[in-house]
Amino acid sequence: MGHQFVLLISACIFCIGAVGFLIRKNPLVMFMSVELMLNSVNFLLVGYSNFLKSMDGQIFALMIMTVAAAEVVVGLAIILTIFRTRHDMDVDHINTLKG
Amino acid sequence: MLEFDLFELTKATVTLLVGFTAVLASLGVILCSSPIYCALYLIGHMICLALLFLLYNAEFIAAVQIIVYAGAVMILFLFIIALLGGKKEVQEPSLERTLAVLFVATMLGELFLSATVGSTKPIEGGFDLETVAEVGGSAKAIGLELFTRHLVSFELASVLLLVAAIGIICLSKFSYVPARRRMK
Repeated sequence: MGHQFVLLISACIFCIGAVGFLIRKNPLVMFMSVELMLNSVNFLLVGYSNFLKSMDGQIFALMIMTVAAAEVVVGLAIILTIFRTRHDMDVDHINTLKG
Repeated sequence: MLEFDLFELTKATVTLLVGFTAVLASLGVILCSSPIYCALYLIGHMICLALLFLLYNAEFIAAVQIIVYAGAVMILFLFIIALLGGKKEVQEPSLERTLAVLFVATMLGELFLSATVGSTKPIEGGFDLETVAEVGGSAKAIGLELFTRHLVSFELASVLLLVAAIGIICLSKFSYVPARRRMK
């Protein structure tokens, strides 16, 4: 399949992830939406690395995976800490830094 | 004269099917109200993307996708959901949500326009399929590139992981008790 298939599919997944991040209230699902967006960019990079016969895209995808793993670990730890102090899973209720 | 390559046709069909499954699974992630179903849909999405990576000749990245994402990250998500309890989320329509959907729909339209209208001049690198096969596979080719031209970013990634590990230890060790109770 050609360039446009990769572009359209990854644009669709990115926008679905963006909508999910904006409309959901559960911080876990918001994180999953961020993962969707990162994954769509990965797919774009890998697809174009295939079309342009270069390894740079795949290496960038690897770096994105590293960043995503670090981000998920720290983010989930923060969510867990907030849940321990507030016992609440709605981001709309977390509007002050002080517990 | 109608002549088609059966292999290419099958490959194109499979790519199309897996691509649409990936989009549908990502829709499932944002539309399910229970976080556990969201996580399961996300695992399905990751596996679809790994298949797509395989179809675009990136075997190493596909393996890393399965191991890191569908394995480690999603298991972490499932553990956290099990720990916090996957409460269902009530999703009622509101003005903000409508605005958000409209905003992103506009963005999607712009992306589609830019994807279908213009094209830039491609700059090809030196790694076609034969070169990769000559080097000894996708993992070796990535290793050769990573440890020569992208060495600094590789080292920075390792520092990033170290910082994340230290950060999560600090977060989970020192914030167990709420601050007010710790003062007493």
